[in-house]
Amino acid sequence: MKTTLSIFTLLVLLLALAVVLPGQLKAQAAPVAANAFSFPHFNPAPFDFNDAFYTANGINVQQLDNPADGRFGLFRQTGPPARAGQLNWVFDRSNTDPDRNNVRILATTGGYIDDGTGAPTQFISLIAFLLNQQIFTGVADARGILMHDIIGNFEAYAALKQRQADGTFLTRPCRASQGITTNCFSVASVATPNLRQDWRFATNRTAADGSSGSPFGYFCDDILGAWIITYFYFTDQAVGPNATALCKGILSGLVGKNGASLDGTPIIKTADELNNDLEANGCGAEFQLDEAGGDGGAVWLICPAIPDPRNGGIAPDAFADVVLKPNGAPLDPQLSNNFNCLKFFGRLCNETPPPAPIL
Amino acid sequence: MKALQPSRRDLLRLPAAAATLAPFVLSRQARAQQKTLKIAVWTHPVAGYDPWFEGVYANQWGERHDTRVTVDRFGSEQISAAASAEVKAGDGHDLFMFPWPPAVFHQHAIDHREVYEAVSYRHGNLPEFAHKSTFHPRTKQYFAFADSWTPAPLHFWQDLWAEANTPLGPSTYDTLRAGVRKIRLAHGVPCGLSLARGLESNITLQSILWGFRTGFQDVDGNVSINSSYMTIQALKYVKALYEDAKSPEALAWGPAGNVQAMLARKVSCTINGIGLLRTAEAQAPELASNILLRPPLLGPAGILGAPYVTSCWVVWNFARNKAGAKQFLVDLIDNSRMVFEKSQSSNFPTYQDTVPDLINRLAKDPNGGPFRKYWELKDALHWTRHLGYPGFTTPEVMEVFDTFVIPKMFASVVTGDLTPEDAARAAENQIKRIFDKWRPA
Repeated sequence: MKTTLSIFTLLVLLLALAVVLPGQLKAQAAPVAANAFSFPHFNPAPFDFNDAFYTANGINVQQLDNPADGRFGLFRQTGPPARAGQLNWVFDRSNTDPDRNNVRILATTGGYIDDGTGAPTQFISLIAFLLNQQIFTGVADARGILMHDIIGNFEAYAALKQRQADGTFLTRPCRASQGITTNCFSVASVATPNLRQDWRFATNRTAADGSSGSPFGYFCDDILGAWIITYFYFTDQAVGPNATALCKGILSGLVGKNGASLDGTPIIKTADELNNDLEANGCGAEFQLDEAGGDGGAVWLICPAIPDPRNGGIAPDAFADVVLKPNGAPLDPQLSNNFNCLKFFGRLCNETPPPAPIL
Repeated sequence: MKALQPSRRDLLRLPAAAATLAPFVLSRQARAQQKTLKIAVWTHPVAGYDPWFEGVYANQWGERHDTRVTVDRFGSEQISAAASAEVKAGDGHDLFMFPWPPAVFHQHAIDHREVYEAVSYRHGNLPEFAHKSTFHPRTKQYFAFADSWTPAPLHFWQDLWAEANTPLGPSTYDTLRAGVRKIRLAHGVPCGLSLARGLESNITLQSILWGFRTGFQDVDGNVSINSSYMTIQALKYVKALYEDAKSPEALAWGPAGNVQAMLARKVSCTINGIGLLRTAEAQAPELASNILLRPPLLGPAGILGAPYVTSCWVVWNFARNKAGAKQFLVDLIDNSRMVFEKSQSSNFPTYQDTVPDLINRLAKDPNGGPFRKYWELKDALHWTRHLGYPGFTTPEVMEVFDTFVIPKMFASVVTGDLTPEDAARAAENQIKRIFDKWRPA
């Protein structure tokens, strides 16, 4: 009975996808009516913040509006991460939030939540890359707090590709600020094609219970939803001729548990895996880029996590910016499956739809 | 020979004579019976604090309690020796204040539980910071009473860091290294993190270890310095920092050497209590406005720092006036607001309700300037960990602290005497010996 129901559900899901998907590709703003498989849609889709809000929170808008920072609404409407037929953002007058503008963000990056479960349930709206401290005006917000201080508590974990096009595997990042410029993997861009696996986002950090050590909470204090990027990588003790037996064993176990990244190294989903499995044994390391911009890559991101991606938080015309295998399939199907469930049904795939109305 | 016999007239005169002499006689007796409270404190780095504590607070307390209070001061480098001498003699001060948890003297201290309990009636439960700083998990006794603590933020010269395109100062260890390198190249001014054997280096290097998610003991009190590769990472980091922009003098600084170097603009940044900044404000206000503060730097473990000072008071078990000493401590908590004010925001209260507007006071500090620099300390309780974190501050932990095992480990790497791996191994062996010495077999 259970199997029959599951197959039936799957068939209906596929049917719904078949009906909805072509429409999505044609007109990205087409709404999807809630149906028996959906959660009710009441959460707003994400929009960019307006200039006054950025200014009030200590962001230099002039700096934000330059091509290097690439603020959506001004730059990059097409092109990566959007693929053919997709737009990264659209103008939309439906916004009712006085702190936001009329640029609705469609490019939605997926990642793992940092609460120890590694669940693929986090989705963020891409807005801009922040390259150096000039982005901050140094003016405190209404509470007297510098946004720079708040952001430093919320880490987005990026995994840049270490395997080069020629197949060589590089085990140190290029960081001009520290004199490392050769025989190293690039840190110039965190665009998804440069990633070996999907992100991990520390949205769970909160001051409320003191467990994270952060004096701030992501959704209550980091009101721009910004991140400091923590890059993590595999060291020469993990991969290559100097790899130790210990690290080889650890990597093998993690590949068995989480699967392999595009580099062939394990996908890392949790802080415990990075901290205790890799770093404590010398198999992995992490770093941040020079806040002066000396390394040339993004130091911070303005990419707010969608507080509740259910119930319409992921718009019908949004698209998932996730790491793809060379054949175009998502590296982690769970992430893109969740995205599609949210997009079409307003819920995560493992959530129970509301009971059908009694006829 | 006729014996002297008082006449009847003499006997009648006696009460009158006694009444006349009584005030003089009783006054001498009262003075002879007046209690004494002998206090030893460290020399506070904020000018003006010691004169207030000795000349005003302690005297007034003495008058209220009919007690003659004496206060002796010691520099931080003299404290351990002075305390050891008193313990050896079994005599000395009634109350001895240490700027760190004096766990090594736990056998010579009373159990301060009743002081904490008396305070808790008025100010609530004992915060974890003070509990783990002063509770001995094996004896189940409080070997000291912590009334306050001092955060240890990063101090940096704003103009130098602005020129390095980092006007807000570094917020990560990576940016610290990148920035100090640039400043060294441009101005010849090195980084000023202390590596010499002293309070400042202990605090600085302990903070770095925690930032790199390592330390010399784990949550269960096991020696862990060599069990995580993150110790090697921390050692490599400090060595690279030293090679990029460290001052060779940092290995030989005396007490407060980093403070003097910072005030003389010989270094671009350092980690210290805000006594440094207050000294600068007193000596050269125009220069002080150019020194800003930042919380500890973001490392792999997050943002973590050691306290510059954990103000711990010990009532010796050989104290002559234990009751007075305990009462002095209870009353001191009631006056935490004055302590905070007179220390110029340096001594953060253990009991937060005693200074409920602490954050506003930091924000409105008259010397905060346009950057409201003292506001950066508002989250200090979030990022400060007690010495011994994640375990308790036990005697073995404090002997490691007192014998500068951690500064010696880092120094041996930056001078090239040992590889990071060998230094971590040597430190582990040394720490294990200390731990074994203190722990029952």
